[in-house]
Amino acid sequence: MLQKVLALIIIAFFLAKLLWQQHERKLSWTEFFFWLLFWLLSAVAILMLDDIDRLVAKLGFSGNGIEVLLYVGFALLLYLMFRLRLKLEKIEHQLTTLVSAMAQQKPLESSQDNKEDK
Amino acid sequence: MKIVCVIPAWNEAKTIVNVIQDVKKHVDEVIVVDDGSEDKTANLAHSAGATVLVHRLNRGQGAALRTGTIYALNHGADIIVHFDADGQFTAQDIPKVIAPIVQGEADIVFGSRFLGAEHNMPPFKKRVVLPLARLFNLVFLGVRVRDPQNGFRALSAKAARQLNWQQDRMAHCSEILWLTRKAKLRYQEVGVKVKYNDFGQKMSGGWKIIGDLFLGRFLK
Repeated sequence: MLQKVLALIIIAFFLAKLLWQQHERKLSWTEFFFWLLFWLLSAVAILMLDDIDRLVAKLGFSGNGIEVLLYVGFALLLYLMFRLRLKLEKIEHQLTTLVSAMAQQKPLESSQDNKEDK
Repeated sequence: MKIVCVIPAWNEAKTIVNVIQDVKKHVDEVIVVDDGSEDKTANLAHSAGATVLVHRLNRGQGAALRTGTIYALNHGADIIVHFDADGQFTAQDIPKVIAPIVQGEADIVFGSRFLGAEHNMPPFKKRVVLPLARLFNLVFLGVRVRDPQNGFRALSAKAARQLNWQQDRMAHCSEILWLTRKAKLRYQEVGVKVKYNDFGQKMSGGWKIIGDLFLGRFLK
């Protein structure tokens, strides 16, 4: 019971932080709703831990509910990291497109050009 | 037939002038793409008579080659040669590399250190790194070349238009091979001389290439 309360307090803290960041317009609506859903689902999972234990046992897993949640959470984290890397790669690619277009537009004409631009 | 040499360069102030002067004897135009150098590479290249394109940020050899290749195509190049700025390659090999394209026998020619030409490659690289690179290219890209990471190559204008590689850094070599096969371009390998210095790709570079190629498959 104490662990559940502590976990819910931590979730409440992150929810409050999320709401504050949205109030300060530091997040897009997509980001806000994504994390809101994530923390609400986490709170529901904590509250329904006993039911999850029973479900996990019925499905034939040897571990308990919290372990399954940990594994699922870890897999989700890896997936999110992968998506983040893809996003970064896309940004890098767009940056290269921009840099390349600028370079082709104006070849170096004199050493004066290079000094001024830098 | 207009022959243009594209030389990507990053902090190559020590060698760029000599490289340009050697290459100029064998081509109609030299295009140096300064890839965000922090030294005087761009100015020196310009003084040596090259057309110089400047990347304001370092984007990688693949990116620099693409910039130079597109520029060359837009300015009427018929054959485009890719050549390194660090003095590893020998400009006298350029006529040998472009010959199959001039004669209409190939669309793209890859230089190879292992076809009868001299090289002083470190043994670990020769016996471990490169055989693994060849195996990777054969299994995953379906291309059999003896020297997959060699940056010395020549492309016809037709091939250059079709080879729209996207990898910015060292994975572009493998991507060019894969695109060559995908576009069913005629390719040949020609022996070229390579002088080894302290640098060159390490084994860790190979893993980075594999990672970049993997990520590249998911980008649209």
